[in-house]
Amino acid sequence: MTLDEFKTLLDTFGGTLNTWPSNSRKAGESLLESNPEARLLIAETEELDNLLSNLTGPDFTGLEQRVLSQQLPSRNTWIDSAIQWLVPNGFGIQLWRPVAAGILPLVFGIAVGNFFSFGISDPELALGYWDDELALLSFSDLSVASDTAEF
Amino acid sequence: MTEEELMKAICSGNQTAYQTVVKQHLPSISHYAFRLLGNSKDTEDIAQETFLKLWTNATSWNPKKAKLSTWLHRITHNLCIDYLRKHGRLQTQANFDEADEEKLIEPHIKDTEREKLQTLSLALNQLPENQRSAIMLCTMQNFSNQEAADIMSVSVKALESTLARARRSLRVIIQEFDKQQPIEKLLSEREQL
Repeated sequence: MTLDEFKTLLDTFGGTLNTWPSNSRKAGESLLESNPEARLLIAETEELDNLLSNLTGPDFTGLEQRVLSQQLPSRNTWIDSAIQWLVPNGFGIQLWRPVAAGILPLVFGIAVGNFFSFGISDPELALGYWDDELALLSFSDLSVASDTAEF
Repeated sequence: MTEEELMKAICSGNQTAYQTVVKQHLPSISHYAFRLLGNSKDTEDIAQETFLKLWTNATSWNPKKAKLSTWLHRITHNLCIDYLRKHGRLQTQANFDEADEEKLIEPHIKDTEREKLQTLSLALNQLPENQRSAIMLCTMQNFSNQEAADIMSVSVKALESTLARARRSLRVIIQEFDKQQPIEKLLSEREQL
């Protein structure tokens, strides 16, 4: 491992070798043993990490109480979740979802159309109707019609 | 109670479980938001909103995908970015409150160390928002690189290069501080004489 590679790893993973990727750890340790500059670099990074962990957040007095006492809104219903799923925040990223949302009414229409007859009679009833029609036709006088057909 | 049990209880409307989660996560959430926003007032608003979102969207947390702290930090991160975008100060840190800045260093810390921490704190505020987030999450909040990348919605590779840039900038600032210190010490000693 070169010193530059060591520097890059230090900047990326910090001064604690245990947090480094396992395949680079051994090489880092051996460079540390042989190179004083590497030791200086790791000491600087460790110091930086220590300083950063000493930077605490401000004491937000009363914030906890304010968070706990705020009025909790009603929970998201399944409709909210469905809308969130269909039209997510990253609208353009998941384009298939709006497409699915568009197809949904069509699927709904087909399902409803299959389920209800909407005035279209049952084929068996229609057959009964034709039987009646044929029976009435058998009583009609068809000779008049054949006479007029000559003209 | 485990995180999963707490969240299940919150999903069924248990306010005691909600209070437990708030108490556990509020310090780190407010610290993170403060570092991104730079003042107490906005931080408090974002912290309150984060926990409201926890309450309303508790069912969308998936324990197989992320730890609760990762999920909460992600909510906070997104709220902060939206807020910064809305107020047009995503890159500049003009609004960092100096009075708040003073509160960030523990009172028991020695003067030299204190000065160094103040320098570091100011340097941190000068970093671009993504570098600040990366260094906060990985060094101060102890998230793994993968978790920090998830919070920031970037790839691990992108996070690692951002993190490296941030550490490099901060290390240079600390080195310069260390170089200046002996000179300033000599000058102050000379003034006393």
